[in-house]
Amino acid sequence: MTEPTKRTMTLNLSDEEMSVLDSLAQQKDVTKTAVLRQALRLYQMVSVRRARGEKLVFENDETKEKAELMLL
Amino acid sequence: MSADVSPVFLVNGSTGELVAAELRDGIDELDLQHWEHNWRPYLVERVKEMQAQGVPREKWPQQLHWNWRYKARVAEMFLGQRGFAIRCEGMTQGLMLVGLVSDARIEEQRGKPLVYVDYLETAPWNQSSLQRPPKYRGVGSLLMNAAVSLSLEETFGGRTGLHALPQSETFYRKNCAMTDLGPDAAKQNLRYFEMTPDQAQAFLKGGK
Amino acid sequence: MRIHVTPEWCLAMARREGDLEVGAGLRAPHVEPEEGASSLVEARIAFGRFVHLVRRKRGISIERLAKDASLDLAEVVRIEDDLHYNPDPRTVYQLARVFGLPQRPLTELAGLAVPKSERFRSEAIKFAARSESMEALSVEESQALEEFIRVLSERHEA
Repeated sequence: MTEPTKRTMTLNLSDEEMSVLDSLAQQKDVTKTAVLRQALRLYQMVSVRRARGEKLVFENDETKEKAELMLL
Repeated sequence: MSADVSPVFLVNGSTGELVAAELRDGIDELDLQHWEHNWRPYLVERVKEMQAQGVPREKWPQQLHWNWRYKARVAEMFLGQRGFAIRCEGMTQGLMLVGLVSDARIEEQRGKPLVYVDYLETAPWNQSSLQRPPKYRGVGSLLMNAAVSLSLEETFGGRTGLHALPQSETFYRKNCAMTDLGPDAAKQNLRYFEMTPDQAQAFLKGGK
Repeated sequence: MRIHVTPEWCLAMARREGDLEVGAGLRAPHVEPEEGASSLVEARIAFGRFVHLVRRKRGISIERLAKDASLDLAEVVRIEDDLHYNPDPRTVYQLARVFGLPQRPLTELAGLAVPKSERFRSEAIKFAARSESMEALSVEESQALEEFIRVLSERHEA
């Protein structure tokens, strides 16, 4: 049974971007690679649903106020 | 693309003997054919019997209305969704759809990603409420093993979450030793269960 | 992803699992048992017929529809002709968009969701029965189509 192939990519990040990546990885107790893969999954999901005409909305837990997340 | 296949074992419900099976990373057309042409007709027959016997609707199997074709498509479409299947003696015995984009709710784990089990179902002939003795035992445990193993592989530490069907609460609370966070009003008041990294390790070792 | 389990683990866990139920996930709405199984196939027949008629009503070729909906030509052909073909949720979305119809009822019609009402199911069957595959859209077919579009739109508002 063949293993699915993994592809490698080199990523250039600014100091600030790397800092955010480090911080997220630490907060979420996962590797930096895992953070980026999560970001990819989320971005794909959001893109597909936006393409369907759905909106991404933040809701304030207490006030129940909703604010749309504007995405290009 | 062919699915990753892991050799596993189920237990024959009548003899108590181990039977070779496989866990597949992915739900493919054959599994869907089995669902459509084997699981569903069996379920429909049993529900018709229940109807004839005057069994109240609330006691009918919930899974009658789950559409695995749709769920399998979702798994194909999104990186953040994965499907798993268990096959034994040429027939699909269990199906599971999980998501990778949810976060933990237990206080100490809050905000950390986990594997969320969207749907887990064992073939109707494996459910003791529909067939005694069930044809095979162990499907639930193996699928949960897959969910927890995936969580570890993704560096989520084994964190896993799910909403249990009411009749399944004991399995998740006792066998999987997950933390019961109580009924979730946002999810049909189903009880939400979560596994911490420590609970995950204990589960993989064989639990208590 | 692969897992590694010993026969001992499997045996121990299966024994402990015993006769316990293991299902997890949101419950779907209640449907009669006969409907549950056969409605999927019936819905699919009506869906293929529907797509076929709407396309002919608008006087467009399969090629044109495929282009407008950004779909594979082969897929549109299969939707119209193949009873056992299951369309993608994305495909249904694209067709609904091109036809200017509500998403949800079309998704139910495509067999991707179990229809919530008996009326919808019987309307779908009636529509499939009334429509015939003919070269020109007959008055009968035209009427059947108009009425069904009305039912689909009503369902969306319900």
